[in-house]
Amino acid sequence: MNTAVPSTTAIDDIANDETVNDVSKRRLGFGFWIAISWIGLVSVAALLAPWLPISDPNEIANGAPRDGILGDNLMGTDALGRDVFARTIWGARISLGVGFLGILLGVVVGGSLGIAAGYFKGLTDQVISFLAFSLLSFPALVLALLITASLSRSFLTVAMTLGIIGIAPISRLARATTIQFADREFVQAARVIGAKSRRIIIKELLPNVLIPMGALTLLGMGISIVAEGSLAFLGLSVEGEAISWGKSIVDGSQTRDLNQNSHVAFVPIFAMFLTVMALNFAGDRIREYTDVRETAF
Amino acid sequence: MARFIARRVVQLILVLLAVTFVAFGALNFLGDPLVNIVGPLAAIDYCDEVEAGLREDSYTSINNSRGDCEIIGEAKADFGLDKPVVQRYFTWLGNIITGDLGTSFQTQLPVSEIIAQKLPKSLMLMVMAQIIALAVAIPVGVYSAYRAGRGIDRATSVASFGLLSIPNFALGVIVLQFFALRNQWLPASFDDTSVGTRIHSLILPATVLALGIAATYQRLLRTDLLTTLQEDFVHMARAKGMTDRHIMIRHALRPSLFSLITVFGVSTGGLIGGSLVIEGIFSIPGIGSEIVTAVIRDDFPVVLGSVVVIASGFVVINFFVDLFYTWLDPRVRSS
Repeated sequence: MNTAVPSTTAIDDIANDETVNDVSKRRLGFGFWIAISWIGLVSVAALLAPWLPISDPNEIANGAPRDGILGDNLMGTDALGRDVFARTIWGARISLGVGFLGILLGVVVGGSLGIAAGYFKGLTDQVISFLAFSLLSFPALVLALLITASLSRSFLTVAMTLGIIGIAPISRLARATTIQFADREFVQAARVIGAKSRRIIIKELLPNVLIPMGALTLLGMGISIVAEGSLAFLGLSVEGEAISWGKSIVDGSQTRDLNQNSHVAFVPIFAMFLTVMALNFAGDRIREYTDVRETAF
Repeated sequence: MARFIARRVVQLILVLLAVTFVAFGALNFLGDPLVNIVGPLAAIDYCDEVEAGLREDSYTSINNSRGDCEIIGEAKADFGLDKPVVQRYFTWLGNIITGDLGTSFQTQLPVSEIIAQKLPKSLMLMVMAQIIALAVAIPVGVYSAYRAGRGIDRATSVASFGLLSIPNFALGVIVLQFFALRNQWLPASFDDTSVGTRIHSLILPATVLALGIAATYQRLLRTDLLTTLQEDFVHMARAKGMTDRHIMIRHALRPSLFSLITVFGVSTGGLIGGSLVIEGIFSIPGIGSEIVTAVIRDDFPVVLGSVVVIASGFVVINFFVDLFYTWLDPRVRSS
C-alpha cells in the first residue's frame, strides 16, 4: 500500500479509508448512545404500560373514530375510535417481548449447538451442521409459517417460533467462532494442565464466543421484531385481543384506513422502524467495536 | 469438477430429503392432520371403547347416518393415518416424486394444479424484484466505492442502512398509500389482462421487495470493490494510465462480484418470505396469498404442497448458485 504518497485521486483515498475506520472503531460513538437510549425508552414504556397515564388501548370509542394526529387524542384514533398512541405503547410489550424471548432462545439453543459442533468436531459436528443446513434450506418465513400454522398462537408459541428461526444461523456463527479459538494456545494450555471439556468450553471458549453473540443478539432482536410483523400480515401473530406492532400495522392497512387516516398504520410503522434501526445500529457498532468482522460466517 | 458436482448432487438429495421430512413432520406432529380431514370430530376420544363394543357409536351429523367413529375410522384408513409416520412419509414422498401433491380439502382440486396456476405470478414478481435490485445496486455500489468516504458515499451508506431497517411490509404499506392510493400513479392491485398490465401492476410490489435486497447488494459490492482496488493489478492498470472509469468497470468489478453471487442465493430466501407478505398487501393472487388462505382454512395438503415446492426450489437455486460460483472461482473447489 502506498499510504505515504499524498492522495490525489479517489482510488488513492480508498487506501486511506481503512485508517479512518480504525480510529472510529475505538469509540462506540454518540449515535450508539442515542440508539441505546431509544431502545431503553421503548423498553421502559413497554414494561410500565399498565401504569402509564395513557388511555385503555382496547377501549372502543375512546375518541371520535378515525380522528387525526394531535386531535383529542395525541396520535389520533383508529376506525373503532381506539387511541393509537396507547395501542402503540401496548404493542411494544408484545413486539419487544416476542423479539427478546425469541432471540434469547435462539442464542441459548443455537449457541450451545454451535459451540458443541465447533469444539467436538467429527460426528457431532456433522449431525449438527446437517440439521442447521436443513433448517437454513427453508426461507425463514416459510419455516415460521410451518410452525405457527399448526399451533395455537399464544405469546409463547410465537416467541418460540421466532427462536427456532434463529437457531440455525446463530449456531453457524457460534461454530465458526469456536473453531477459530478451539486450537489457540490458551485452549491447548488448558488441555495440557488437564482441564475437562466442560471447563474448557465454559471458562475458555464461552467468553470469546459471547462477544460476537452480543452484537448478534441486538441484530437478531431487530429481525425477530420484523418477523412478528410479517407473521401478523399472514394472520399468524399472537391471537386474540393482544396488541402488537405488526397487528396494529395490519389493522391500519385496509384500503379505507390508508386512504383517509394513514396515521393508524404509520404510527406503529414509525415506532417499529426507529426501534429496528436503533437495534441494527447498536449491533453494528458493537460488532465493529469488538472487531470480529472476519469471524462472521 | 465432475467429482465436485457428484458430491454436491448427493448433498442436494440429502437436503431435499431433510427439507421434505421437516415440512411433513412439522405439520404432522405439531398439528393433528385428522382435524384437517374430519374437522371437530377428531376431538372425539371414545372410539376405542366403541371398537371394543363397550358403547354405542353416536352421530352428530344429520346428513349421514353413519356413526362419528365410523367416519373417523374411514378417514384414517383413506389417508393412511393409521400407519406409522415414517411409513406415511415415504408413501407421500413417492407420490410427490411422481408429481402427485394430493388434493385440496377445500376446493377438491389437485394441489399441483393450484400451484401451477399460482406460482408463475409469484415467480414473475421475484424475477422483477431481482432485476430491479441488481439494476440499482451495481451502479450505486460501483459509484460509492469509487467515491469512498466522500459525501455521496456517506449518503448512500445512510440510505442503505435505513432501507435495511425498514421491514418490507412497512415499506409496502407506505408505498401503496403514496403511489397507488393518494396519487394514483401506479395500480394498487394485480391486473391479469395481458403481459403488459401484469408487468405494470407488479412494478410497485417488485420495487418494494427490490429495495431491501439492493441495499444488501450495494453494501457487499462496495466492500469487495474497496478490497479489490488495493490489489496490485489495479495499481498496474493505473500506472499504465487507464482512466478510473475503465479500471472500475473493466478491471475491478468482475473480481468483486463473488460475494454478491453467493448472497444472491441467500437473498432469494428473503425474497420468497417477502413476497408471501407483499402479495397480500398488493392483492396479487400468487402462491403467497394461496398459502395464507390455505392456513386460515386449515387446508393441510395445500400448505404442505406449497411449502415443499417453495423450499425445494430454494434448495435447488442455491445448488446452482454454488455450482456457478465454483465455476467462476476455481479456488473454492479445493476447499
